[in-house]
Amino acid sequence: MKTNWWVRFSVLLVLIAAAVIVLLPTVMKFDENGSYPVKSKINLGLDLQGGLYMVLGIDFKKVYRDEIQTSARKIESLLKDEEIGLTIGALDATDPMDPKQAIALNKASDMENAKKKIKTIFGNTIRITKEEGEKLEIAMAHAVKTQIEQQSVGKSIEVIRNRIDEFGVTEPEIIAQGEDRIVVQLPGVRDIERAKELIGKTAKLEFKIVNDTIPPQTLQAWMEKAKAAGIVYKKGERFSEYIKKMNEFLAKDIPEGHELAFEKSPTHDESLNIPYVIEATPRITGDDLADARVQIDPQKNQPYVSMEFKTQGSKRFEETTGANVGRRMAVVLDGNVYSAPMIQGKIAGGHAQITLGGGANFNKTMTEARDLALVLRAGALPVQLDFLEQRTVGPNLGNDSIEKAKVASYIGCGLVFLFALVYYKFSGVIAIVTLLLNVLFTVAILVAIDATLTLPGIAGIALTVGMAVDSNIIIFEKIRDEVRKGISSYKAFDMGYNSALWTILDAHITQAAAGFCLLNFGTGPIRGFAITLLIGIAVTVYTAYYVSKILYELYMEKTDAKELSI
Amino acid sequence: MIELIKHGTTIDFMGKRKYVMTFSLIITLICLYGIFYKTEYGVDFRGGAEVQTKFSKEVHLDTVRDVLGKAGFHDASVQTIGQPQDNEILIKVSADEASLNATTEKLTQALHTSFADNTAEIRKVDIVGPKAGAELRMSAVKAMFWAILSIMVYMAIRFDFRYAPGVMVSLLHDIIIVAGVLSFVGSEFSLHTVAALLSIIGYSVNDTVIVYDRIREHEDHGDQTKSLRTHINDAVNDTLSRTILTSVATLLVAASMYFFGGAALRDFFLAMSIGIIFGTYSSVYVAASTTLFIDELTRKSKSGNAQKATA
Repeated sequence: MKTNWWVRFSVLLVLIAAAVIVLLPTVMKFDENGSYPVKSKINLGLDLQGGLYMVLGIDFKKVYRDEIQTSARKIESLLKDEEIGLTIGALDATDPMDPKQAIALNKASDMENAKKKIKTIFGNTIRITKEEGEKLEIAMAHAVKTQIEQQSVGKSIEVIRNRIDEFGVTEPEIIAQGEDRIVVQLPGVRDIERAKELIGKTAKLEFKIVNDTIPPQTLQAWMEKAKAAGIVYKKGERFSEYIKKMNEFLAKDIPEGHELAFEKSPTHDESLNIPYVIEATPRITGDDLADARVQIDPQKNQPYVSMEFKTQGSKRFEETTGANVGRRMAVVLDGNVYSAPMIQGKIAGGHAQITLGGGANFNKTMTEARDLALVLRAGALPVQLDFLEQRTVGPNLGNDSIEKAKVASYIGCGLVFLFALVYYKFSGVIAIVTLLLNVLFTVAILVAIDATLTLPGIAGIALTVGMAVDSNIIIFEKIRDEVRKGISSYKAFDMGYNSALWTILDAHITQAAAGFCLLNFGTGPIRGFAITLLIGIAVTVYTAYYVSKILYELYMEKTDAKELSI
Repeated sequence: MIELIKHGTTIDFMGKRKYVMTFSLIITLICLYGIFYKTEYGVDFRGGAEVQTKFSKEVHLDTVRDVLGKAGFHDASVQTIGQPQDNEILIKVSADEASLNATTEKLTQALHTSFADNTAEIRKVDIVGPKAGAELRMSAVKAMFWAILSIMVYMAIRFDFRYAPGVMVSLLHDIIIVAGVLSFVGSEFSLHTVAALLSIIGYSVNDTVIVYDRIREHEDHGDQTKSLRTHINDAVNDTLSRTILTSVATLLVAASMYFFGGAALRDFFLAMSIGIIFGTYSSVYVAASTTLFIDELTRKSKSGNAQKATA
């Protein structure tokens, strides 16, 4: 036992040192670009620093309704070409998640022919749910619905994230919750109205011609040059600010009337953003666009995006495409390039189509086409988002809460310390040291794993201190039991610790079970509480058992363990 | 050695269990009544909007009510929170999902214009749609269900099936009592209450495990001729001083958080404090008594079977 005492003691010292290193930036001010190895500070939750918490819900009912009605209209126009007349009937939304659209053919004899056409053109996306005489009923294919759901959530998160980047929030959290929920957390945001407006607003859509005369190597060289000059995208910075800086820096290199823009990487890895040199003035804007839909080319069985322009836009589009055949046209959303399809030829008549990456597999192309259509059509969020839950906390309340919780924690912990000292005398000192280390480690782990400290989290830490003393009490009481039996100090200490281990483990594991449930089902600040509680539980097992044992051994060594002060 | 409970104390806890269990049963029933008929759900579960404001000067609740009434909020509930000198007021309004946003905007506007000389700082705005409210309710129930289930499974594996029901009964007992007491004192049932209830589950099971651990130790290593009843009594007496010490230490923290932690933490630690008291009580009485009860029941049916077999 004595041989590895030093090992355990060194481990403890290393851990304490590590915790202090991790916590220093939180306590002291460091230069961000300084040489200090740890940059992360403690992450304060919304309830402590103020900010905005929102739960957005996607209204799929509306999406489905729109989708099936549009399909019905498409069927109508396609069958008209085949000289099959029909009337679109009522929408049956008894099951709002699977609305059905009635269609009545003018002649019952057209039925077989009409069904065949619908199957060839909409094969995978439409299912016929009922047919009776001249009446038909269609609904969306289930696979399409699943796809819409997955895409809508992902796409909405992406759009919201881009906008938040624009707002300059350092630690935004935008995550999907369940199948139709998006949780947005913006700590430290003061101007809540603007943030809400920004998330809900319509994006700016522009079509700009790409300058392809600049070879990719040159673009790459520019990026390197900018990077060398220290122009890199910093987390929390507005993305448009970064683009502006890049353009200013490269002003001499970029041809007159052009600008640099990026296609942001879907993985949000900034180094993977693709740079484009595009004309500064848009040729066409979102206002010129009337509609955008995914269609399938029946001959090639390939999806494409068809666009319809308003009268003015249609003229401009014709001119632009005519003058730029063979060049690429960037679809720019909120200043970022979304995609850059090639112009195949002059496009007149107000209809245009964007064919996507040929040769790729059908489903992948379909996904891309749907994405693009969504972006073009809504120009904004792909679906209607409802604000389901919204919590805003003013910054002053957060400060007050911290102050009050701090004072209360000091008083509470102070009382526990006093209590331990009076009751257990010197052993109480050991208990206090382990409790202090408990708090130190818990907070350090919070910072290290980048977790968020919330008000209930502070409460959780204070509570852990109250309960952590329990493990010490269990050990001390067991040692007292042994001492009463007249066993020598050293043996009593040893037996006390040994028999207490499983009691402590059982008690903490069951408690952790409750903590995990809290983490799984809780929201917002409650999760913060669960995290601190779980960390606290893990830390307690180490400090209250192992650390106190190390300290005890040290103490017994010094006093020769003649008598235990317990 | 300071000793809270003199060593060698032998209180016959199990001897009084009939009375105590009756007490528990009565109080549980009263609390169940409170949960079903008295509980006031907070904005988290009920849906609606809550605006917390802090006035720079003293303000009468009636004045605020008047102002809100003139602005069209006749059903608004207005109450003070925290210390009176803080001038903090909580305003609750109901509205349907679509108009919640507009409603709160109108409300804050009314406050700003009507109290130009007594600035109303909007400290917190919570808007929860009814759909979200229903979901939050569901997830709270789920969280508690899984917490109790996973604890029971662990107990059954680590200890014995005999012990698991005792844990469950005592946990339910504690949750019902805490939720019931909160409903009677008029504290709102919020997400924070759920967190407190789950922490109480954690605390209570911690306490119970320690008593059970001692019972098992007595059963495994103690005098084999003694009955389970004696083992339980011995174990509870053994751990009594630890049980009380821990409760006191935790209560010290919970109480100081309740008194000094500010309005936001008050409800949480009120629940915690009640939970600590009942959690301690239930690990001694409810959990151990249930175990003894089940043990006696199985013994009876076994001996009954044995008698039948011989007859």
